[in-house]
Amino acid sequence: MSHDLQTEPLLEVKNLSRHYGARIGCEDISFSLWPGEVLGIVGESGSGKSTLLRCLAGIDMPTAGDVLFRHDNAFVNIFTLPESTRRHLMRTAWGIVHQNPRDGLRMDVSAGGNIGERLMDRGDRHYGSIRDHALNWLQRVEIGSTRIDDQPRQFSGGMQQRLQIARVLVSEPRLVFMDEPTGGLDVSVQARLLDLLRVLVRDLGIAAVIVTHDLAVARLLTDRLMVMKDGHVVEQGLTDQVLDDPHHAYTQLLASAVLAA
Amino acid sequence: MTNIATDPMIRAEQISKSFVLHNQGGITLPVMNNISFSVAKGECLVLSGPSGAGKSTLLRILYANYKPTTGHVFVRHHDEVVDIVHARAREVLALRRQTISYVSQFLRVIPRVSTLDIVKDPMLRRHVPEAEAESRAKSMLERLNLPERLWLLPPSTFSGGEQQRVNIARSFVDPTPIMLLDEPTASLDAGNRHIVMDLITATRKAGAAIVGIFHDEVVRDAVATRYLDLSTLKSAA
Ligand SMILES: Nc1ncnc2c1ncn2[C@@H]1O[C@H](COP(=O)(O)OP(=O)(O)OP(=O)(O)O)[C@@H](O)[C@H]1O
Ligand SMILES: [Mg+2]
Repeated sequence: MSHDLQTEPLLEVKNLSRHYGARIGCEDISFSLWPGEVLGIVGESGSGKSTLLRCLAGIDMPTAGDVLFRHDNAFVNIFTLPESTRRHLMRTAWGIVHQNPRDGLRMDVSAGGNIGERLMDRGDRHYGSIRDHALNWLQRVEIGSTRIDDQPRQFSGGMQQRLQIARVLVSEPRLVFMDEPTGGLDVSVQARLLDLLRVLVRDLGIAAVIVTHDLAVARLLTDRLMVMKDGHVVEQGLTDQVLDDPHHAYTQLLASAVLAA
Repeated sequence: MTNIATDPMIRAEQISKSFVLHNQGGITLPVMNNISFSVAKGECLVLSGPSGAGKSTLLRILYANYKPTTGHVFVRHHDEVVDIVHARAREVLALRRQTISYVSQFLRVIPRVSTLDIVKDPMLRRHVPEAEAESRAKSMLERLNLPERLWLLPPSTFSGGEQQRVNIARSFVDPTPIMLLDEPTASLDAGNRHIVMDLITATRKAGAAIVGIFHDEVVRDAVATRYLDLSTLKSAA
């Protein structure tokens, strides 16, 4: 298969485990992610979704296993990189959207500053172009340009989440990690945010790993799904196939708990 | 070696399917056994059989929405042949983007997305230029008699027949070489049903390979070039 497919994965995860003492966070997880692919991780709370995501994103160290990221046409093991290189990669090549926007935003810096900071990390120095870029992104995430000098604390929860997304995507990462990106928002705000994410992912061709407990979110945003239970992946595959024709008892239980789509 | 001129677009080999319901005592529900057929360009194979015979199940297997218990579905994708049952997720997605579409009776409404954007979306995924996608989407919506005042609204509040026409517009505006249709005309009035029948036939004559399910006998006989009766296949198995 060569058409429209890039042949090398962007991320390769090999036998990743994270234990907390005797307790299993996640156990023996392996998968590959290709450019432009969106992978969902679903499962009940405590099943290890966020533990896995934190290890993938380099925020937490695994007990065993490797995460290889394709960078400059070579695979780098993100856990053996020098700390400074890893931090630089984290700010430029990949992005993290936290469940709580406060964890991803600088609350005492203006909206424009939150976006501009990322461009400066990337080496942009021209004030005028940084501001134009920031304005453009505020518009894309549907925040009025008059709010550019306001601080995030003056925004609603939904606006804060959209600002966080702009801050992450402005540096054009190749890979984005999201932990419950629409959690804690009411349904109509969620719908706007989901549509925004859907279009951005389609238009920018970024790869993403999205943790969610909401199967409707998974169906809307993801191409592939991993179902976790007690730290293990019990079923994985094409999102619609896993949800419509689940084979594992646990996935059948999850899928039957939502209204048929 | 594959022969592009004569090989079928889709070839199902010995498809069997049973569902195992783990949370209902682990019972096994057999639906079909050893079904094989193929469909060439310019053909419309209509699946028939009573309710519950497994028509929709088979169509979903062809789209890789369901996984058969055994068997293969070979699909021609550009100049290659891919077994969609065993292909990787991203290969299936590439097939679905360019080669095979599934049109159900129901539109999957995406919150907040306008009718026009829903119709344009598959073209944009295939990198059709925005302006061209827009004008093609509009003429398809016009052809299906969807009033212009609805185009910028999300279809969540539309009638069943209106939603169905949005779904048909989205799928037929830029048809793929293989089209799978599960009762796409179920809630249309006679006038619109005729327009859709003509659209299906024109798409077939333009070279598409079509597999469809149609409850309405008039529609079925107008669009079919061949039938596959699932009730007899099932009892023979
Ligand atoms: N996801 C599923 N999980 C479990 N059983 C299923 C699933 N999908 C279909 N079935 C079962 O498979 C059998 C065939 O159903 P299917 O929908 O394919 O019939 P059909 O021929 O399309 O019927 P109709 O004409 O009523 O649409 C039914 O017994 C149905 O309950
Ligand atoms: Mg059916």
